[in-house]
Amino acid sequence: MQPRGLTAALPETSARTVTHRRLVSGPNSSRRWVIGYLFILPTLVFVGVFSYYPAVKAMQGAFSNWNGFNPPVFVGLGNFVQMFQDPVFIASLWHVLIWTVVGIPLSLIPPFLVAEMIFHLGKARSQYVFRTMFIVPMVLPGFVGLLIWLFIYQPTGLLNQFLGAVGLGFLRHQWLADPHTALGALIGMGFPWIGAFQLLVLYAGLQAIPMEILDAAAVDGVGTWSRIRAIDIPMIRGQWKLLFILAIVSVPQNLIAPLILTDGGPGTATVTPVFYMYQTAIGYGLYGYGMAIAFLLFLVMMLLAIVNMKYIQSQPD
Amino acid sequence: MWLPAGLIVLAFISLYPIIYAVINSLKTEPQSTVNPFWFTNWPLQWSNFLIAFETIWHAFFTSAIITSVSVVGIIALASLSGYAFARIPFPAKNVLFMIIFGLLLVPGFLTLIPLFIEIKDFGLLDHDLGLILPYIAGGQAFAIFVFRSFFSGLPDEIFESAVMDGASDLTLYGRIVMPLSIPIMVTIAIINVVGIWGDYVLPSLVMNATGHRTLAVAIVSFEAPKFAPSLNVYNIELAAYLLASIPLLFLFSFLMKYFIQGMTSGSIKM
Repeated sequence: MQPRGLTAALPETSARTVTHRRLVSGPNSSRRWVIGYLFILPTLVFVGVFSYYPAVKAMQGAFSNWNGFNPPVFVGLGNFVQMFQDPVFIASLWHVLIWTVVGIPLSLIPPFLVAEMIFHLGKARSQYVFRTMFIVPMVLPGFVGLLIWLFIYQPTGLLNQFLGAVGLGFLRHQWLADPHTALGALIGMGFPWIGAFQLLVLYAGLQAIPMEILDAAAVDGVGTWSRIRAIDIPMIRGQWKLLFILAIVSVPQNLIAPLILTDGGPGTATVTPVFYMYQTAIGYGLYGYGMAIAFLLFLVMMLLAIVNMKYIQSQPD
Repeated sequence: MWLPAGLIVLAFISLYPIIYAVINSLKTEPQSTVNPFWFTNWPLQWSNFLIAFETIWHAFFTSAIITSVSVVGIIALASLSGYAFARIPFPAKNVLFMIIFGLLLVPGFLTLIPLFIEIKDFGLLDHDLGLILPYIAGGQAFAIFVFRSFFSGLPDEIFESAVMDGASDLTLYGRIVMPLSIPIMVTIAIINVVGIWGDYVLPSLVMNATGHRTLAVAIVSFEAPKFAPSLNVYNIELAAYLLASIPLLFLFSFLMKYFIQGMTSGSIKM
């Protein structure tokens, strides 16, 4: 960078002309890096103010006692010690563990199976039609999808009415009001779990597998299932990796479902750590404690994501 | 034969919540109780939609403004950054990219409460900007990641002749890269519209004043029987849900082709 004094020493007009010419000059200009920085500057300002600053605040808050108004008081690891003596928090850990272990396969396997089914259809036209049909549910905004599932689970809702209509009336249940079924009901929402985003990404991966490999497999008489296992699944590793990381990051984040559908209840049956963070901070005014919960969960998720990236990267190509 | 049959069954089940909402939004409450699965009673209750619209129209337009401004902001900023990261050499590029990309791993819940407090301190509570600015920031990481990977994949030859003619980076970006990127741009726009239009948690904290809410906040708190004259509360709610879905329906019907092209162009992977 040019020292400031040097520019100032030059006559005003000529300094500006020089800068101007260099800024708009072609990609071989020696000052091209300035353009690079100018292009990313707006992004950096926005993420600095609205992403990194709150993230830093969140980490500071995790080690403090703070009600959101008075200055935070540093308490070291106090919040974390308190957390592990808090039965609601311990329960929330179990809930999110169950949700993640069940929820990640649910978010990946059905879309993959449907992607394979569509990929195996003969005609390009019917592939297009089915792809479109599975994308249509995306028109429902997230909160609308949740509210419709709230109706489905009501005592007189669609699920119980359906069970009655097909002669399984004895299975009718207060799905969200019974602590034994409430968490399962939240995890099971979205049946048959064919996420449009996952479906399209996996389908794109299958389409990108070179035709020669598939032809060679066909010539060798490789059956459908062994082909899926030996060729399709490993060939779309980049897609799996992205979707798996996105799932690890998004499944435990599910705050809106307990917030809208059950308010964490009945009792604490559907309290997840993120919901508990919201409840302690917004509901009880314990901002520091809430941020500590968020911070711990964040560390665990980062760890999982890093392990996952390392593991998949170490696979031979 | 079993493939298309199986796919039809699965598609029907996936679509059924929508079908169910359409059927029951056009009934009275007693009619829904008798048979929620199909149309059994005539005439249809179109008035449910009228009442629903009267209740949510203000929130509807508030959300429309917030969503469109945010998405335009995300695309504008992220495509510039994506271009810089893909095609301009500058010092510390990889570090800066990792700083932005790393935000993909920073979950929304971590920053939710400090962000809420920050918005409050800026005096932006109950103001559209209180959502627009954080949404623009929040959309950057994913959009830049996809733009960069798409722009890097563009063949060098298309740039070379323009560079010979003395084109600047701004020209290359505006005249060459942007026109070639419409599918990927539409894809990123749709993903963000879906996310912002459907977001509930941040708006429920930031825009909770009774007179000025986003659609999600208004609809979730819709249950309060403000419209007591009608008995069909449940059916009117379903009508409101469908009204909330109309913008996305339009978006998808016009842009589906681009969306599928963009999603399947191979830029969305790691």
